[in-house]
Amino acid sequence: MSTAVKNELRVCMLSVKYNIMREMLNKVTFLTNILFMALNNATFIVQWVILFSLREDIGGYALRDVMLLWGLAASTFGLAHILFARAFSLPDLIINGKLDAYLVLPKNVLLSVLTSQTSVSAIGDLLYGLVILCVFSLSIGRFFLFVLFTVTGAVIYTAFALLMGSLSFWFVRAEMFAGHMTSSMVSFATYPDGIFKGAVKFLLYLVIPVGMAIYQPVHIMMDFNAGRLLAVLGYTLLLSAAAVFVFYRGLRRYSSSNLMEARG
Amino acid sequence: MKKYAVIYRSVLIESLQYTANIAMGFISYLIIIFIFIHLWDYMYGTPGTLIAGYTKEQMIWYVMLTELIWFGTSSNTVTRQASMDIRGGNIAYLMNKPYHYTLYILARYIGECSVRLPMYAAVSALIGLTMVGSLAGFRLITLLAALPCILLGITIHAVFRLCISLLSFWIEDANPFHWLYNKLILVIGTIFPIEIFPEALQPLFKLTPIYTVCYGPAKLLIDFSVEKYAEVLAAQVLYLAAGCALMFFIYGKGVKKLYVNGG
Repeated sequence: MSTAVKNELRVCMLSVKYNIMREMLNKVTFLTNILFMALNNATFIVQWVILFSLREDIGGYALRDVMLLWGLAASTFGLAHILFARAFSLPDLIINGKLDAYLVLPKNVLLSVLTSQTSVSAIGDLLYGLVILCVFSLSIGRFFLFVLFTVTGAVIYTAFALLMGSLSFWFVRAEMFAGHMTSSMVSFATYPDGIFKGAVKFLLYLVIPVGMAIYQPVHIMMDFNAGRLLAVLGYTLLLSAAAVFVFYRGLRRYSSSNLMEARG
Repeated sequence: MKKYAVIYRSVLIESLQYTANIAMGFISYLIIIFIFIHLWDYMYGTPGTLIAGYTKEQMIWYVMLTELIWFGTSSNTVTRQASMDIRGGNIAYLMNKPYHYTLYILARYIGECSVRLPMYAAVSALIGLTMVGSLAGFRLITLLAALPCILLGITIHAVFRLCISLLSFWIEDANPFHWLYNKLILVIGTIFPIEIFPEALQPLFKLTPIYTVCYGPAKLLIDFSVEKYAEVLAAQVLYLAAGCALMFFIYGKGVKKLYVNGG
């Protein structure tokens, strides 16, 4: 059993490695994408410097905490798009019958789909997150927590994209809905949860899982709590299991389009 | 001009078939507005506070209007499609047609925006009136007067984005430059009015596209004055002329670098 798991993981890592190597064929474009994405994220520092010049704390966050929030959001987004970028364009595969190529592979279908694409600019997001951590609030404990939460956040984000994307097995128009729901997670993730009140918080923890992917991890890094840490880990497992279940249920409804094409 | 009018009309009719898809985009717009309403609610704290001379209602309406321009003009035609035409070689088929390629793209873009922008404007007005309240001192005549500025603003925005896409003649991927231009517009002109920045920087920002694309039109709707109107309109005419000259120059240089590999 463990050998099978090891083999699957090895194939996934090789898939990601070859995705990146393919993108590196044009080194200038590769490096420009990474560098400009990091710069693109850095422009938002201006926004927060301006906002903090108006008030000392925003939603219970100081500038340092907001930067930690931004760093975690960027690295979570980055890792998800490096390893599992295809989860974010899953509806295209489903609607246009492009899953055939993955169904005939002698490996796990879902993992093959998820790891079949890598977004180069996401490397810039991941690096930006780490740089922000180092500049604004580095400590050894926080570094390890940051890495752990980058992984759990990326898994939650991918699982949410997978859940939303799988709706296309049932509804054709779900493609755009899925895209907007997934991007809404990024929109919320870059603002402190303290500015939202009442029912909105419920929405951010139960409907759009940004609460467990970003907000709780930031609170844990600011003030460690083992119970909350376990809750985040448990939530990550549960949401992943739900996403896998829904994907395979949906896959039963999938019909091929007899599309002949080589996988890029 | 007649041929561009035909292109515009055909894209307009085509876009009208996809209103349901455009309406799906309201989700992202509503979420952004929802976040900003909460953010500025928190920032203003007590009623009656002024930030950079803006009341809370004015500030939220400002963001709603600039985001309306942002979302209402978020078309791939001047960005991804133009870049792909150049990178994929499709431009070889488009450049020998009896129209200028850049004007063809702009006609398509304006055709798309003619459907998107009014739809987003209707949603903005609805959310604004229900969640924020009406703007003190706003009159319908202000909207009519500011309309040419809004149209000039979105055209200038398209011209500059097309200039960036035309860089694909030299570089494989112009996307990173689009990111930076978009963030410049978003962070400095869309999220905040210029008055919120340090006074020393404000004249500098007035020289950038931010002033003509989003700040100018939104400011006129929030707090109209004839002097401001004349200033924004003059800046827009100058910017549009300079932007078009730059666009034709880049295109003229770029097509000379074009290789046709057959096919």
